[in-house]
Amino acid sequence: MMATSTAMHTVEATAQPMGFLARAFLLLGRLLLGGIFLVAGYAKLHFDGEWHLRDYYFFFSMAIDSYHMLPLWAVELAARFLPWFELLLGVMLILGLWARWAAAATSALLVVFFSAIVRAYLLHLDIACGCFGNNERLTGWTVLRDGSFLALSLAVAWFAFATHRRSARKS
Amino acid sequence: MKARVLIAGTLLFGMAAVAAMAVPGKTKTSSSGASTPAAQTRITPTSVTYAKSLGSSTAPVRIEVFSDYQCPQCRNFYLNTLRPVIDNYVSAGKVYLIHHDFPLAMHAYSHEAARWATAAAVVGDFETVDQALYTNQDKWETNGQIEPFVAAVLSPADMKKVKLLYTQSAPELDAAVATDQALGKSKNIDSTPTIFVTSRGETHELPPGGVSYQLMKQYLDYLLQR
Repeated sequence: MMATSTAMHTVEATAQPMGFLARAFLLLGRLLLGGIFLVAGYAKLHFDGEWHLRDYYFFFSMAIDSYHMLPLWAVELAARFLPWFELLLGVMLILGLWARWAAAATSALLVVFFSAIVRAYLLHLDIACGCFGNNERLTGWTVLRDGSFLALSLAVAWFAFATHRRSARKS
Repeated sequence: MKARVLIAGTLLFGMAAVAAMAVPGKTKTSSSGASTPAAQTRITPTSVTYAKSLGSSTAPVRIEVFSDYQCPQCRNFYLNTLRPVIDNYVSAGKVYLIHHDFPLAMHAYSHEAARWATAAAVVGDFETVDQALYTNQDKWETNGQIEPFVAAVLSPADMKKVKLLYTQSAPELDAAVATDQALGKSKNIDSTPTIFVTSRGETHELPPGGVSYQLMKQYLDYLLQR
C-alpha cells in the first residue's frame, strides 16, 4: 500500500512538468501553424503589391491545375475557397478556437497537400507549388518544408486531443 | 492647250517625286557598303520583337511568352493553349501576343530553332514557322535537322530568303535572340514557358508550367470584361 502510494506520487510529480511542456508545445505549435496558414492564405489574395480579391482564384486555379490531379470544376472550387479556409484555420489555431478540430482539419489538409507535392516532385513536374503565392516553384526544398509542416501539424493535433482527454478525465 | 500643260506638269511632278523617293533608298544601301541580307532587311532587336508578335499592338490585353522551342512544356502550352488563343483572341484583335526566345542551355538545338524562327520572322513568316517548330519538335529534337520542317511550310521563294538570312546573318539573328534572353533574365526567368499578361497597365506573371486553355480563356474573358 505504502509502495503504491509512493509510486502514484512519483507519477503525479513527473506528470506535472510533462503537462506543462505539452501545453507549452501545443501553444507554440498552434501559433506557428496558425501563422503559417495565415501567411499561406494571405499570399494567395495579396500579391504583386496589391490585393486580388476579385481575381485571385484565376491565378490559384492555374497553380492547382498544373498538378493535373483534379477536374476543372474541382480546381475552380478549391481555388475559390482554399485561401479563405486557410485564413480561417490560421485564426482558429492562433486564438485556440476549437483548437483540436482546427488542428485535425489542418493535418488533413496538409496530408492532401503533401501527397500532391510528393507526387509532383516524383513526376518531375516543373510547376508552382501554390503554397505561399502562385509563382513559388516546387522543389525538393518544398517537399522538406511541407513535410515538416505536416509533422508539426500532426504533433499539434495529437497533443491537442491528448490534453483535452487529460483535462476531461480530471474533471 | 491649258489641259496639256496641266497634264505634262502633273507627269513631271510625279516623276520627280518618284525619283526623290528612290534616291535615298539607293544611297542608304550603297552608303552602308554592306550587301548582306541583314543589312538589306535591317535586323534590329526591336524590329525582330515586332516581327515575332501576333495581333494588334493596340489590343486591350498583351501576352508575352518566353519560350524554348525544344522544351516539351512549351510545346504543350503552344499547341493546347496558345493556338486556340491565337485563333479566338489574337485574330479578333483582343490580344496582342509577343513571343520571346529563351533557349535553355540544357537543350542542344533550341538556339538553332530560335534562329530559324527569327529569320522567318524577319521575312514575315513567323507564325507559320513557329507552329511548324512546335508541331514537329519530337522529330527535329532527335537530330537537330530543323531545316526540312521549316522548308515544308514555306513557299520556295520565302524559304530561299529565310535560308539566306539564316546562313549569312547569323550574328544579327543571334543578337536578337540574346536580347530576348537578356530581357528574360532581367525578369528573373529561369524556366520556360514563362507567361506575362498585361491589361490596363497591370502586368502579372502566370504560375509556371503552362496554363490550360480553359483557365486562360476564363482569365482573358475576365480581363476583357473589366
